[in-house]
Amino acid sequence: MVRLEDVRKSFGDNVVLNGIDLSVAPGEVLVVIGASGSGKSTLLRCINLLEPLDSGRIFIEGEEVTRKGVNVSALRQRIGIVFQQFNLFPHLKAIDNLTLATRRIRKAPRAQAEVRAHELLARVGLAEKAHQYPHQLSGGQQQRVAIARALMMEPHVMLFDEVTSALDPELVGEVLVVMRDLARSGMTMLVVTHEMQFAREVGDRVVFMDGGRIVEEGPPVEVLDNPREERTRRFLRRTLQLEHSLEELTVTEEGVTE
Amino acid sequence: MLVGITYDLGSYVSENWEFLLRGLGRTLLVSAIAIGGALVIGAVLGAARAHRVPVISQLASAYVELIRNTPILVQIFFLYFALPQPIGPWPGVRLDVFTVAWLAVMIWGGAFNTENFRAGFEAVPWRFREGALALGFGRVATFLNVTLPIGGRIALPSSINTYIAVLKNTALLYVISYEELTTSALQVNALTLETAETFTVLGAVYLALVWSLSAGIRGLEGRLALPESR
Repeated sequence: MVRLEDVRKSFGDNVVLNGIDLSVAPGEVLVVIGASGSGKSTLLRCINLLEPLDSGRIFIEGEEVTRKGVNVSALRQRIGIVFQQFNLFPHLKAIDNLTLATRRIRKAPRAQAEVRAHELLARVGLAEKAHQYPHQLSGGQQQRVAIARALMMEPHVMLFDEVTSALDPELVGEVLVVMRDLARSGMTMLVVTHEMQFAREVGDRVVFMDGGRIVEEGPPVEVLDNPREERTRRFLRRTLQLEHSLEELTVTEEGVTE
Repeated sequence: MLVGITYDLGSYVSENWEFLLRGLGRTLLVSAIAIGGALVIGAVLGAARAHRVPVISQLASAYVELIRNTPILVQIFFLYFALPQPIGPWPGVRLDVFTVAWLAVMIWGGAFNTENFRAGFEAVPWRFREGALALGFGRVATFLNVTLPIGGRIALPSSINTYIAVLKNTALLYVISYEELTTSALQVNALTLETAETFTVLGAVYLALVWSLSAGIRGLEGRLALPESR
């Protein structure tokens, strides 16, 4: 479904992706974890060509999308992406956020687009919010609208870029449940997240990235509960930290140490 | 009794209203053309500036600098008196006074509006445009569907000030004897010598005019503003 071959990307001297090989099978939910700056978000943004590669190749459904002359717009319609900051259009109601792209790009009649938009809003639990503007919705509701908006284009793959990181803790759950249901419906998903519970329960496979490389990958139980690599263990210790009291920790340039 | 010693607004208005009304009509006509033109110029050249469209962006920048850094009075004189002069390869083009009238204030307003819209478009957060690109919108469609409606709303308050200035600048068309409101009033004054009445009425009409224009556009602004700032 999605295949990356030796993908490399630098911003100036900063090597963000240092030779990534990865493939995602149809219907698979791949969860990407790693510290901030490990290249996770850049990886997603490269897949739908929001970020050009330095080298390497990316295939979507067998078609190389990194070759010259590819129809970027048509490609992006096949790949839904949901962002950390929602990126809803502030001047449009929820329903119009959903229908804008199908009406303008695919010339869908408004009535037909709105029927589908109402279905999708109902699916993310927001049937009553169709005529609210983004600022009238909570962060969790905005993010669910953003998921529904991406689904309007009937994508074959969905990319999630830390979609709960900007949310208040009590709003994270509603978004994760929508994503879980989407995964159960058979959607192919690449999910960059810090939500380990989601990775464990919904992920088919977990990839741990560090320094622009894939350090470890495997089923969630292996990577999260029994990691082979020391770097994975260190990262998970820092994220989970549960066995320590704050009293035992000090902060250094590297972050938190015992 | 000597003419002009008594201050009689009522008889001044009743004697001269038809003549002044024709002047007011021309003021409104020239302002409407110039404001409409300034809106289009501002949106198009502002977009070219904000998105650094090659060549057009540099030309727009030169245009803005030229207009902002010279007095509008000089610009009016230039269009009316200098343009008709043949110099070198320039054959000289004579424009009638009405064309110079609307063109001069439109060119002035367009330059200021280019800056208003450039600032508005540049203030649109990247993430909204990214959201549109990710849905499959091309660059032009992203501009038309996202950057223009959001940036246009951001630019609205400053562009209102430009439209008001355009309307007030039409009074300067007196220098080329275009018979708009101010020119008409000065003609009445020359005939009647009722100077106090003339400028009372002139001031009151401009006040009412500009006030209604700004109230009208502010009403529009209230309806158009981004929902969160209403």
